[in-house]
Amino acid sequence: MNSATANASSSQRLSAQNLQALLDSVDAFLFDCDGVIWKGDVLIDGVAQTLDMLRSKEKKLAFITNNSTKSRRQNAEKFCSLGISVTEDEIFTSSFAAAMFLKVNNFPQDKKVYVIGGEGILEELQLAGFAGLGGPEDGKKTAQLKANCLFEHDKNVGAVVVGIDPHINYYKLQYGTLCIRENPGCLFIATNRDAVGHMTNLQEWPGAGCMVAAICGSTEKEPILVGKPSTFMMDFLLQKFDISCSRMCMVGDRLDTDILFGQNAGCKTLLVLSGVTNLPTLQDPSNKIQPDYYTSKVSDILEFMGP
Amino acid sequence: MLSRTATASLSVSAVSANPSKSFFFRTSKFLGLNCNFSFAAAAATNPLPNFAGLSWNSRRSSGMSKMNGFTTRASAQPLKNADELIDSVETFIFDCDGVIWKGDKLIDGVPATLDMLRSKGKRLVFVTNNSTKSRKQYGKKFETLGLNVNEEEIFASSFAAAAYLKSINFPKDKKVYVIGEDGILKELELAGFQYLGGPEDGDKKIELKPGFLMEHDENVGAVVVGFDRYFNYYKVQYGTLCIRENPGCLFIATNRDAVTHLTDAQEWAGGGSMVGALCGSTQREPLVVGKPSTFMMDYLATKFGITKSQICMVGDRLDTDILFGQNGGCKTLLVLSGVTSLSMLQNPNNSIQPDFYTNKISDFLSLKAATV
Repeated sequence: MNSATANASSSQRLSAQNLQALLDSVDAFLFDCDGVIWKGDVLIDGVAQTLDMLRSKEKKLAFITNNSTKSRRQNAEKFCSLGISVTEDEIFTSSFAAAMFLKVNNFPQDKKVYVIGGEGILEELQLAGFAGLGGPEDGKKTAQLKANCLFEHDKNVGAVVVGIDPHINYYKLQYGTLCIRENPGCLFIATNRDAVGHMTNLQEWPGAGCMVAAICGSTEKEPILVGKPSTFMMDFLLQKFDISCSRMCMVGDRLDTDILFGQNAGCKTLLVLSGVTNLPTLQDPSNKIQPDYYTSKVSDILEFMGP
Repeated sequence: MLSRTATASLSVSAVSANPSKSFFFRTSKFLGLNCNFSFAAAAATNPLPNFAGLSWNSRRSSGMSKMNGFTTRASAQPLKNADELIDSVETFIFDCDGVIWKGDKLIDGVPATLDMLRSKGKRLVFVTNNSTKSRKQYGKKFETLGLNVNEEEIFASSFAAAAYLKSINFPKDKKVYVIGEDGILKELELAGFQYLGGPEDGDKKIELKPGFLMEHDENVGAVVVGFDRYFNYYKVQYGTLCIRENPGCLFIATNRDAVTHLTDAQEWAGGGSMVGALCGSTQREPLVVGKPSTFMMDYLATKFGITKSQICMVGDRLDTDILFGQNGGCKTLLVLSGVTSLSMLQNPNNSIQPDFYTNKISDFLSLKAATV
């Protein structure tokens, strides 16, 4: 049908025939959220029942999202509001990853963190014992570009964390830029670099990749990436699950974050076409990232199980 | 779906596939060589012809190979014999911020220096990456500072964006979405193009709620991005939708300066930030019309009938001004009155060596042979 199917290493379509083999080879399913579980605030059909079925088969579940707007706790609340029971410790957000990065690298407690991003990052930083500045409220601030006005910044900021920020403005860009360029040793951390994502159910919106690239543009530095496809978060998953990565399956809608994360960590990978990636993109010759399997949506897992 | 074939030199694919901290990558980005849009798709779906721009792409690629280390430049020489340099060229191109003025303050000795050069019959041109003002508005700034400069001698990157669209016969029935300030809007208007966006979109808010859909004008054929103090998520989304969804839509950057001296007291995040944001969301590289791209050099060389070897580029920034001059085949003079210090010039990590350097342009008046 197309050149991709002739390639031995290309993706297999998930079906009733190969599903059991996948289920037998995997003890834990790792799910991305946007475009997989939900789109914006709307649950994707059949997800709840599929997750229930997997739990009934004693599969462990984890939810790994690059969306840094919410903390783990806020995400658990969102699951709950959508009728799905998920515990906070099954959730791994890039906001959590940023705070953990600082923790495992012994970021000094007397230093501050400037945040270009959402409440989720500030909450996770606070939970980890760090002092955060910025966040959503800096969305109301403006910069005075006048002869005798000096734009001040806190010299005690030792790290700038950048994630998706619908309240992005020049004040934040300038603040983050000055910290990184002028505070000696200041870290530049990106929660993730997704170009776009389904922030609402009807269309894609610019993701953290946009804000991160803005800061790269003004600082001429590259950030430390803590979210997918970096495997940093996998270390925390392994602490929670005593399972080898080869017996995990990463389920996601984005090739260059979800699937690459799974491949980098040595997991099996399943691409769902319910989010940002469509079949032509997967099968385009210029696409080098081939998941083990692909299917339309998560609930296909339930459907292919049959009666 | 718009295909994304690179249009320029062989160095593009390697560079765009592997973004790195290397200086090489940063400079090639500045040259806008990583143009990822397909002219074939553009031509098929909307009447933009393959334009003369292709020829300046390939000239820049030969400039690239020089920077690639194939030709090693000698270290910059301190300017000792100003008269010799002045006599060897016919035209001086001056950057503005950090060379003529800092913020709104004139740098010492500038008026007398410009007068002296004019009295020697030299042509003076002013090329700035600052896109916030139009040429006319810059003309007023020069006047306010007591400098005798004609609007026709000024080339801001705002003008460059409009001139570029003119050079490719951008259709008058297509629109331009602007993420940037008044200068760009004024220049587009003067050139007869319809625009959307600009500063007033800085007041627009979005609410990320279920069922909310942001519409965008399907008639937008180009998005122009420059420095924008009113930058916000609405503009990023609008520009992103146009570039991703309108077939053949161009992505043009006035400039990619990381920081800029908008006030003389400190550095400010520059156009490179806004352009970076759109690169991040579209995963495309823009066509850069400002320095160090040679578009403005080619434009004024053609307009004034000047030979490039007869030009001396004077600027304070290595990766825009000096690179611009070198790419254009001109002589280059770095002044230390702006963002670059002597230690930055002489840092082993710096590979951009101007022909000469000096403290400020008024040194032209004071430096004679066998002095320093």
